[in-house]
Amino acid sequence: MAALRKVLVRPELGAVIAAIGIFVFFSIVAGTRGFLTAQGTINYLEVGAEHGILAVSVALLMIAGEFDLSIGSMIGAAGMLIAIPVTKFGWPPWLAILLAFAFSLAVGYFNGWLVVKTRLPSFIITLASLYLLRGLTFGLTIALLNYTRASGMGTYLSGDPLVAIFSGAPLGLKISIWWWAGLTLVLGWVLFRTPYGNWIFAAGGDALAARNVGVPVARVKISLFMLTAATATLLATIQVLDTGSTDVLRGELAELEAIASAVIGGNLLTGGYGSVIGATLGALILGMVQQGIFYTNIDTNWFKAVLGAMLLAAVLLNNYLRQQALRSR
Amino acid sequence: MAIIELKDVTKSFGRVNALRGISVKIDAAEVHCLLGDNGAGKSTLIKILSGVHKPTQGQYEFEGKPVELTSPREALDLGIATVFQDLAMLPLMSITRNFFLGREPKKKFGPVEVFDSGKASKITNEELSKIGIKIRDPDQAVGTLSGGERQAVAIARAVYFGARVLILDEPTSALGVKEAAVVLKYIVQAKTKGIGVIFITHNVHHAWAVGDTFTVLNRGTSYGTFKKGEMTRERLLQMMAGGEELEELAVELDLIAKRDPSEAGKLEHRVAEELDREAHPKS
Amino acid sequence: MQRNLKSKIITALALAASFLVPVAGFAQKKPHIIVVTHGQVSDSFWLVVKNGVDQAAKDTGSDVDYRSPEKFDMVAMAQLIDAAVASKPDGLVVSIPDADALGKSIQAAVKAGIPVISMNSGSDVSKKLGCLMHVGQEEYVAGKGAGERMKAEGVKKAVCINQEVGNAGLDARAKGFKDGLGTDVEILAVGMDFTQSRNAFSGYLQKNPDVEGILALGPTGSEPALQALQQAGKVGKVKFGTFDLSPTVLEALEKKEMDFAIDQQQFLQGYLPVVFLANYVKYGLLVATNSIPTGPGFVTPDNAKQVIDLSKKGIR
Repeated sequence: MAALRKVLVRPELGAVIAAIGIFVFFSIVAGTRGFLTAQGTINYLEVGAEHGILAVSVALLMIAGEFDLSIGSMIGAAGMLIAIPVTKFGWPPWLAILLAFAFSLAVGYFNGWLVVKTRLPSFIITLASLYLLRGLTFGLTIALLNYTRASGMGTYLSGDPLVAIFSGAPLGLKISIWWWAGLTLVLGWVLFRTPYGNWIFAAGGDALAARNVGVPVARVKISLFMLTAATATLLATIQVLDTGSTDVLRGELAELEAIASAVIGGNLLTGGYGSVIGATLGALILGMVQQGIFYTNIDTNWFKAVLGAMLLAAVLLNNYLRQQALRSR
Repeated sequence: MAIIELKDVTKSFGRVNALRGISVKIDAAEVHCLLGDNGAGKSTLIKILSGVHKPTQGQYEFEGKPVELTSPREALDLGIATVFQDLAMLPLMSITRNFFLGREPKKKFGPVEVFDSGKASKITNEELSKIGIKIRDPDQAVGTLSGGERQAVAIARAVYFGARVLILDEPTSALGVKEAAVVLKYIVQAKTKGIGVIFITHNVHHAWAVGDTFTVLNRGTSYGTFKKGEMTRERLLQMMAGGEELEELAVELDLIAKRDPSEAGKLEHRVAEELDREAHPKS
Repeated sequence: MQRNLKSKIITALALAASFLVPVAGFAQKKPHIIVVTHGQVSDSFWLVVKNGVDQAAKDTGSDVDYRSPEKFDMVAMAQLIDAAVASKPDGLVVSIPDADALGKSIQAAVKAGIPVISMNSGSDVSKKLGCLMHVGQEEYVAGKGAGERMKAEGVKKAVCINQEVGNAGLDARAKGFKDGLGTDVEILAVGMDFTQSRNAFSGYLQKNPDVEGILALGPTGSEPALQALQQAGKVGKVKFGTFDLSPTVLEALEKKEMDFAIDQQQFLQGYLPVVFLANYVKYGLLVATNSIPTGPGFVTPDNAKQVIDLSKKGIR
């Protein structure tokens, strides 16, 4: 019984059940129409990877009790920070990529510092960043390029030292999937096996109490905001190198999908509880549904309704399981 | 020598005087009870003792030397551990992780330092059983423990990490009779270990059960500090209840009763008699 | 008791059969065609395209899926094309607004043996990527048609209002216009904001009172220009045309406040590719051309009324 309770307690349980259920559903309904083919599997894994790369860092921040709504805009901004210097000013790609990362770390630091200093809800502060970043991206791009798109990256990429780690498809799986897996392992390990991870839980559970026992809550939160910004830039880099182009709208709404992945994966919106593996499973579920639905006969107009229903079901399931876990004995 | 001594401490917030001229001494191996009704200034006094606030005037001395604490962390480093009313326990986190929060034991894993959860669980189990709490699994969430058990874990944590002074802010106020008795037992255990315990409460019976010294606060000032031999429980009650106010109230109700012969009047008369009795206890 | 059991069996069979319908669909060898565009059905322009697709599906008896990303998102669109390829359809119809982003996925489709027809955008890259043909409006040709039309009306000085400078398609329209008219044409760049565009154009009118012809490259430019002309009292005194339709444009045409609108007839951009692919899949028949221009179709005050009715039905 104790062993069963130990399993019930894990925040990922709901996500595991949901993932298996959805996989079975699509296998039955759409297995022969492409869902179970190698190509079909890689397809939803790629979509899952895009959500997952963001979701794992968003989950850590959520556990620490904060939100970063600006990551979607950061994707757009970072994409332009790479594409414009390369295609218009002749920069080498590795330099532009470093620039994008440096910028994102600065923005992340700024977001975190503002949240800690003003004690305003991060929801509001990063909402403001969302608009600021997107607006700056628009304005600067049109001012410099007279156009809303930057393209033609492909010709500048060969021989660049950094490009290799952000592009390609080792063993047939796009690089984004490898990054997703790697980030999940590393961040999951950090969360559960280091003191820093304990501090993340504490900052989200009760920041005041944590501070009173000496946990450097401010440092933890600021570093996590820098992490979310960095993963947004990571995704932007992978996308720009893959498509060879970017536009001012790149990444719009990505923050909501990342939060949805994290929540489906068992992370509490109120913080203090959750897991990275859960967020990854949530991203996988989102990817399976987003692509899987196209292999069924269901009209894609219903897609959003289906997604909303799933989100609700996942949250209810997680809530129920968590209550079971916390029941006093 | 007293471990902590406050000399003529005043604390104001803007124009509001929360504390005036408070002088108090905490010795090792003693339970010093801070009594007072709501609004007496107890919480402000704890916040000064635990390093959350700085006194506006007056001296804070630790082992005879003046100190200026700027954060609870500093107080903790000196050995002044505070268990606040909200306990500083994270209900969703395991007992072990709560126990070692901020002071996690580490071991090396190649080039990185990781949380030594094995060692942490073992110590948590040991410390808790030392104060008589048997938990099935130190990885269970703190939220599964009862209020009294959580208090006990908080106290055990403070004791383990070498507290010299333990400040307990109303630890029994939210507990039932049986659980309160258990917490009082741990307070005594801590004292026998040589720790100076500051026990803040508004419940005179609890204070009387374990206290060696009593300080009564009323509206920011102290009525004085008394050792157990110099005091009786009834006088303590009277001091705390603010005897004069009760007398005044009794007279007022009596007047109303005399003017109103109805049932309500008779009720007021009875209440007036009761208050009078409390204001002038036959000792 | 017997009746109850019978109805239960029938219900069970019906349920099982409904599960098999998608499979049964395949068994009858209906052509399965997937359409992937960058335009959302919530956009009235693309709704007309989808109506064309649906009509063609009905007319040819094909199984057609229309897919587009929730918003303008090239990465998502590439993933949709990949998903389409994985489900091994008989034919694929795509729009190509960004050849860099979508090229790889389209080439993968071609390599997998799926016949691909491009529509709406990407006429210049369609053949290179391996598509059978492109169905859409040749922007340069349409612009030239507009220029020649104005030249025939005696216009010597004209201005071209561009609401999205940098859009290669719009640039092609402008160039065509210049070449068709035969004289140099000033390009007035405006943005998405109605008031700013109107004021910009008013300013131009004041500085150039002798302008004879105005061509807007889209309703975002033509609608503010119309208001500016009304304020300056110049309606009917200059030749005024635009690309693409909108309710305001159609109303202006009916009231003779505009001379023509160039309609790319996007219904056909949805309809024709599906018909071509269905016939190719069923019988191996294919039209022997790389490009089917669905525009320019000129909507004038003479036929504006009919177009308005059809636009309400989502056909134009």
